Amino acid sequence: MEKSSRKIWEHPWGYAEGFIVASGVLLAGLMLQLTIGNIDPAAFGFPVNIIIGALFMVGLLSLHFFLRRKKIVRWLSGVSSTIPAISLLLAVIVIMGFTPQFSDHVSQEQLPPTPLRGLGWYQMTTSWPFVQLCFYLLTILGLTTLRRTTKKRGWRDIGFYLNHVGLFLALLGGMLGSGDMKRYTMSVKEGSVEWRGTDQLGQMHELPIAIQLDTFMIEEYPPKLVIIDNQTGRILPADRPEAYMFEGVGKTTTLAGNRVEILDFMADAAIVRDSNIVNFVHMPMEGATNAIKVRVTHPSLDHPVEGWVSNGSYLYPYEVLYIDSTTSVAMPVQEVKKYTSKVTVYTKSGHVRKAEIEVNRPLSIENKVVYQYSYDETRGKYSQVSIFEIVTDPWLAVVYAGIFMLLAGALFMFIAGPRQEATPEG
Amino acid sequence: MSWDSFIYFSVAAVILWTAGALIALKGEKKTVPSLLTALGLAVFFAFILGLWFSLERPPLRTMGETRLWYSLFLPLAGLLTYRRWGYRWILSFTTVLSAVFIIVNITKPDIHNKVLMPALQSPWFAPHVIIYMFSYAILGAVTLIAIYYLVRESKISNKGRLMAMTDNLVYVGTALITMGMLMGAIWAKAAWGHYWSWDPKETWAAATWLGYLLYIHYRLRRKASNKTSMYILIVAFLMLQICWVGVNYLPSAQGRSVHTYTME
Repeated sequence: MEKSSRKIWEHPWGYAEGFIVASGVLLAGLMLQLTIGNIDPAAFGFPVNIIIGALFMVGLLSLHFFLRRKKIVRWLSGVSSTIPAISLLLAVIVIMGFTPQFSDHVSQEQLPPTPLRGLGWYQMTTSWPFVQLCFYLLTILGLTTLRRTTKKRGWRDIGFYLNHVGLFLALLGGMLGSGDMKRYTMSVKEGSVEWRGTDQLGQMHELPIAIQLDTFMIEEYPPKLVIIDNQTGRILPADRPEAYMFEGVGKTTTLAGNRVEILDFMADAAIVRDSNIVNFVHMPMEGATNAIKVRVTHPSLDHPVEGWVSNGSYLYPYEVLYIDSTTSVAMPVQEVKKYTSKVTVYTKSGHVRKAEIEVNRPLSIENKVVYQYSYDETRGKYSQVSIFEIVTDPWLAVVYAGIFMLLAGALFMFIAGPRQEATPEG
Repeated sequence: MSWDSFIYFSVAAVILWTAGALIALKGEKKTVPSLLTALGLAVFFAFILGLWFSLERPPLRTMGETRLWYSLFLPLAGLLTYRRWGYRWILSFTTVLSAVFIIVNITKPDIHNKVLMPALQSPWFAPHVIIYMFSYAILGAVTLIAIYYLVRESKISNKGRLMAMTDNLVYVGTALITMGMLMGAIWAKAAWGHYWSWDPKETWAAATWLGYLLYIHYRLRRKASNKTSMYILIVAFLMLQICWVGVNYLPSAQGRSVHTYTME
C-alpha cells in the first residue's frame, strides 16, 4: 500500500508495522485463550471493572502527557495503527458472524466439541482475542483523541470529538459494564406478590423489589383461516402459503383454489363432543375458544362442505374441517397483538408504584428496569401468569452518554461531509 | 391498496425512471430527467402509502416490504447525486438496481398481513428501518460507482472529482447507518432489556459499520490508493448484504436472530 525506501520497523511506522502489531495483540489473546479459556464477565464486576477502567485511563493519560513525543505513541494515535486495528477487529467480527454464538452462561462442555471451542469462537465476545483487540482499538482511539487536543482547533473538531469520545465512552462503558449487568426473570401469578427472581444460570434470588400482578390482559389479532395438507399439516399452496384474516360474517375469500364463505363466528365457543357428533355452542367462560363456520366450494367437489373450524384453547383441542381426503380448512393459533400487566411494585426502600407494563414500555424504578418478558404460553390468552425481566445496568449512563454523542456526531457528519482536501494523518 | 396492484405502480415508476435515465445520458439539461425521476418516485411512494393504509401498520416488517423502500430510495439517492454532481450515468445505475429489487418483489412476493408483533410496536420502528433503507440505497449507489471505477479506471478523466463524490456519499451513508444502528440500540434497550446483544443481525451490522469506518479512515491519507478504497467499499457492501438479507440464510444464524419477523 505504501511505497517508500523505508525498511520495516524503521520509523515512522506505517500500515505494515500496524498489521504486525495488531496481529501480535491477536496472537497474545489467542495464547491466553488456549491456556486459560474464556473470560468470565462476572469476575470483572464491581470493583474490578472500576479498577481496570481507572488504570486504563491513567495509562492513556500518562502516555499522552509524558510520552506523546515518542515515535511509538505518535504512531499509536494515527491512521497507520488505526487501519490495521479496525481491519483485524473486523475480521474477528466476521468470523463471529459465521460461527454460531452461545450465551456466556453456556458451559464449555455444552458447546459443540469442535476445534472452534478451544479457540473461543462460540463465545467470541468473552474470548481473549476479541477483548484484547477491543482494548487495543480503544487505546488507539483514546490516544488519537488526546493528540487532537494539541492541534490547531477548527470547527470540524466538534464532529471529531463527538464521534471519537462518543465511541470511546460507549465501547469502554459497554465492556466494563457487562460484568455488572444483572438480569432476573420473575414469574408472577395474577393476584399475588413475588420478590424472587431467577438469574441466567437458573438460580433463585431474593430481590430488593416485589411485584404484585393486579391484572394481566392479552389482546389477539382476529383468527385466520388456512387450507392445510392433511398429511403434512403444511399450509397451502406450499410455495406461497395463503391465509385469510377474519373480517366478519358474510365475507367470502379464496384460499388455495377453494372458495370459502364465512357463515358464522363465535368468540366464546365451547366444543361439546357427543360420541360422533361435535357441537359448537356459545359459552362465555374461561377456556372458551374462537370458532368460525365456513362453507367451502371447489370445482372437484359434488357438494359444498360446511362446518366449524377452531384453533382450540388449553381446554379444547383444535378442530379442522375436512374438504376431501387431502385437504382441510384449519385455524392457526392467533397472533398476539398486545399484552399488558397492571402491577403494583414495592421496593425495599419503601417506594410503592402502580404501573402498566408492556413490551416496549418497561417500568423504570430506582436503578432497575422492569420489562414485560413473557406469559404462560400454554394457556395463551387465559394466562394468569405474567413473566417479567428485571434488569440493572449501573454503567448504562456512560454508554448512553456515548451513544448520544455518537448520534450528534453522525448528524454532524451528515451535514458537514468529508474535508474538501484530503490531508496527511488526521 | 393491496399487494396485487404493485405491478402496475412499479412498472409505471420504472418506465418513468428509465425515461429520465436515458434522457440524462444524452442531454445537457438536468430538468427533464429530474422531473421524470421525481414523478416515478411519486408514483412508487403512492403505492407504499396505499399499502401502509391498507395494512394499518408501516410496511416495514417483512423482507419484501424493506425491499420496497430500497427500490424507492435508490432512484432518490441517484437523483440527489445527479443534481449535486451531474454525472449522467448515475440515474441509469440506480434505475437498474432498483428494477432488480422490484423484479424480486414481483416474482417472490412476501406474505403481507396486518400482524405487527408487540416488539415492533414502537415509535422507533419506522425511523430505524427507514433510515437504514435510505443508507443502504446510498451505499448501494456508492458500490455501483466503485464497480464503475474499477472497470473503467483507465478511461476516467477526472478521478479526483469522482473520488470526492464517493467520499461525500460514503459520509452521508455512514452517518445514516450510524443513526439507524444507534436508534436500534436505544429501541433494543426498551424492548429487549439490552442495547446490544450480538444477535447475528447486530454482529453483521457492526461488521458493516467497521467496513465503512475503514474506508473513511483510509481516505484520510493523501496517498490513499483509489483502487484499494473502491475494493474496501465493495467488501463493505457485501457485509451489508449479509446483514440485510444473508442472516436469514446463514447456518450460524438459524433460529438465533430476534430480528426475524417474516412468518408463514
